[in-house]
Amino acid sequence: MRLYKKEGNTLQILSFPNDNIEKGDYLIIEDSRVNKKLITQVIDVQFANVPGLLEELLRDSTTEDCVYGEDFDPLKVSSHINHIQDAWMLLCKIRGTLENEKPSVNVSWLPSRSKSGIERFSITSLLAQIDNGRNLPIHIGETKEKSPFTINAHDLDGTLNIVTGKKGTGKSHLSKLLVLGLIDYGATVIVLDLNGEYTNLGFSQNGEKNVYHDKVHVLTPGANLKVSLAQLDLRVMLNILVHALHLPGASTREFRRIWQFLNQRRASTLRELGEAIKSWKCNQHVRDALFSRYNSLLNSGFFTDIATEAVTFEEFFGETRKGGALILNLQDVSSVDRQIVVEYTLGKLVELLGQWKIRAVFLFAEEAHLYLRETYWDDIVTRMRHFGVFTTFVTNQPDTIRENIYRQADNIFLLNFTNERDLETVSRAARVDSETVKSIAHDLPHHHCLVLGKTVKDFPMVVKVRAYDVQTMGQTRLFFTSRDYARAEPQLR
Amino acid sequence: MEDESFQPNESGFKQYATSHQQNFEGATPILRTHDLLTIKSIPIKPLFCDTPVAAVDVSSIKIGETETGLLCAIRGAIVWKHDSRYSYLRFGPFPFHITEENKKEIYNLFKHHSFEISEDANAPNLANVPIRMGSLLERWLQLGISCSAHDSVILWDGSLTAGTADSPLNVVSQLLEISRNRLNTILAFSKTTNLRLLGHKLTDLGEKSWPPCLLQINGFPPQSGPVFSLGNVYVAKLTQGICSFRLDIDKEISLERGIEAVQKLLGNDLLIQSYPETLRLAHTFSTFTATEVIGIQHLIAQQYGLRIIARPNIRRLLFGPFGKGSEG
Repeated sequence: MRLYKKEGNTLQILSFPNDNIEKGDYLIIEDSRVNKKLITQVIDVQFANVPGLLEELLRDSTTEDCVYGEDFDPLKVSSHINHIQDAWMLLCKIRGTLENEKPSVNVSWLPSRSKSGIERFSITSLLAQIDNGRNLPIHIGETKEKSPFTINAHDLDGTLNIVTGKKGTGKSHLSKLLVLGLIDYGATVIVLDLNGEYTNLGFSQNGEKNVYHDKVHVLTPGANLKVSLAQLDLRVMLNILVHALHLPGASTREFRRIWQFLNQRRASTLRELGEAIKSWKCNQHVRDALFSRYNSLLNSGFFTDIATEAVTFEEFFGETRKGGALILNLQDVSSVDRQIVVEYTLGKLVELLGQWKIRAVFLFAEEAHLYLRETYWDDIVTRMRHFGVFTTFVTNQPDTIRENIYRQADNIFLLNFTNERDLETVSRAARVDSETVKSIAHDLPHHHCLVLGKTVKDFPMVVKVRAYDVQTMGQTRLFFTSRDYARAEPQLR
Repeated sequence: MEDESFQPNESGFKQYATSHQQNFEGATPILRTHDLLTIKSIPIKPLFCDTPVAAVDVSSIKIGETETGLLCAIRGAIVWKHDSRYSYLRFGPFPFHITEENKKEIYNLFKHHSFEISEDANAPNLANVPIRMGSLLERWLQLGISCSAHDSVILWDGSLTAGTADSPLNVVSQLLEISRNRLNTILAFSKTTNLRLLGHKLTDLGEKSWPPCLLQINGFPPQSGPVFSLGNVYVAKLTQGICSFRLDIDKEISLERGIEAVQKLLGNDLLIQSYPETLRLAHTFSTFTATEVIGIQHLIAQQYGLRIIARPNIRRLLFGPFGKGSEG
C-alpha cells in the first residue's frame, strides 16, 4: 500500500485486492523518521484510476462478443496487467496519531509519501490503545478479527444515545444488549416498549427463566400499571390534559380550580373528579370539554380509585435498586393512552429524580416520535439530562428524531441504511464526518453496527453484534411459513 | 537483468506511444518523386465471394531504462475474418532487457529465427532496437500468415517500400513471392505518407473522389537510392468519410488481380472511414496501453527483483518549465 494523496482530512491510498482491505478497516501509516504513526480509517474502496484503463476496457468490451481468439503469453504478463487493472484506491479519513504508542487527536502533521509504511491496524490493537472497555465492559459483539468488542458502561452514563438502522437490521437486538449490559452493573433502565419486544427479556430462548428474570419488570398500562389520582402532581396532570388530550386554555384553568378544590377536600379520586366536573359552575362548553377528557382518562384504564390496584413508581424503583429494567409495555395501547402513560412516567421520573429518590435512569425510547410530545425533545437533551435521565432513542426512521438530538448525541449505534435521505439525516451527528456515515453505513452487513462517539473514543468501529440467549419478541409475524412452501411445492411441479 | 535497477522514462507513456509506436507503424520511407506522375481514378465495387481476410500488426514500446541498457516490450497480433467471423492470435507481450553487450546477440537471434539469415547483421543503435525488434516480429508474423493462408487477402500496416533497415529488400521480396505463390494478395495500407503529387499530400487526393474507388498513381520511380518500391501505389477511398489511405499492391501481380483483391476486401470485411476492420483490430490487439506498461514493469520488478529508480530529468532541472521535449 502506498500513500497517494491528501485532501483535507481525506487520504487516498493505493492498494491491491490481495491486501484484503474493507470499508471500516483501520490503517496505520508509519513515518519512522519522525517516529509517528497516523491512524486512518478506510471509508470507501474504489478502483484506482489507472492510466490507459479505459482503452483497455473498451478494447475488451468491443471485441469480446464478436472476436474470438487466443493469446500466446508464455511469460504470463497478462496476470500482472490484470493485477494493475484491479488496483484499488482506498479513501481514508484521518482519525488521529499514535505518538510513542499513545493515541492523540493531533493530526497537524503529514507522513512522508515516499518513505512511509502502511499496514492494517487491527480493531483489537486500536481498542487496546484507546483503553476501551476495561472498567465496566459491556460485550457488544466481535470485531472483524473475531475478537470481542466491548464498550465501557461509563461511556453511556450521562449521555444521549441513538440506535438507528433500517427495518430488520437488529436495532432492538442491540438495544436489548445495552439494556442487559447496564442492568449487569446495577443501573436502572426504563424502556418505552412500543411493540412489546422487551417483555421477555427475563426468559431464555427455550422459554426458561434467565438470570435477568427477577430484574426485568414488565409494566402493562391498565393491567399491572395503574395509578391513583392522589399520586399525581397537578403539573403532570395538566401536561397529560394539555399535551396528550389537547385541553384548551380556558378549560385548563377551570380544571386547575377543580383539582385544587378536590385536593383541599382530600378527595382526589376519579369518581370525585367526575362529580366535581358535573356540578362545577362553569360554561357548558368548558364542562363538555372537561368531561370528554375525564372520560378519556377513565377509559384509558390507567387510573384507578382502588387503592390495592394502584402502584407507585417508587415501589418499582425500589425493586431495581441493584439493577433492573422497567419495561413499559405500550403494545396494544392506543396512541392517546400511550401519550398519557408516557407523560405520567416522564413527569414522575423528573419528580423522583428532583427529590433524589433515585440517582439516575437510563431511558430507552423505541420510536419515540409516536408518543413523545414536541417539547420533550429539547427537554431530554437539556433539562432531563441534568436531572439524570439518560436517553437512548431507538428508531428506524431517523428523520423523526430532531436534528439537535443528532448534534448532541454522544453515541450513535448505526446499523445498515440504504436510503440516501436516512443517511443524510444521521450524518448530521457531530461526532463524525458525514462521509464516514454515508459510506460505511450504506454497506453494513446484517447485524453489523457502526459505533460512533464516546464509547469508541471517536474512532468509528464496525462491530458484528453478538447473539444472546434471550427470547426475542421483535420478529415480524409472517403469513407464509416454511411449512407452507413445502406443501405448495408439489403443486408447483 | 537480475538485481539491476531500471528507470521508466520520465516523458511518460503517451510520449513513448507517439515516439516509438508511430515510428514504424505509420510512417513510410521516403521515395524521391519527380513531376511526371499521373493519376487515374478506378471505380470499384464489392465482390461478394467468400475470401478470407487477414491482417498483421505489431507494437513495440520502451518500458524503461536500466543502468546498463533499456527495457522494451513487443507484441504482435494476427486477425483474420472468415465465415463472417473475426478471430485473432496474439503473441506477447515479450519484455526484453537490451544492453550494448547483448543487443547484437538478441538482434541476430531474432533475424535468424525470422528469415534464417546466417550472416551477422549490424545491430542498430540501442534506442532503435525496440523498433527493429518489432519489425522483425512483424515480418515473422507476415511470413507465417503468408505461408499458411491460401487465396486470401492479407493486410499489412505500412507500405511495400523496401531497402531500409526495417524492410530489407530480400525479406520483403521473399514475403511477396511466398504470398503470390499461394495465391494471396498483399494490400499494404499506410495511414501517413510523405509522397506528394504537385505539392499535395497523396492521401489528400481522395477527398473529392466518389467512394469506393482507387486512385492509381503512375510514374513513381521503382528505385530511389537504396529504397525500392515493390508495389503499385494507390490512394484508397473505400467508404464515405474524410479519410483515404495510401495503398500499395504487389507490382508482380496483374493490375486486375490487385483491384479484384480490393473488391474482395470490400465484399468480405467491414470498412469504416476507408480502413479495414481486420487491420484496425490487429492494431487494437497489438498496441500497448499505459496499464499494460505498468503491468510489464510490475512483472520485471517482481520476477527479476528490479528496483525502479527515478532518473532526474536534466532538461527540467536546467530549464524548469521551459525544459520541454524529450531528454537529451
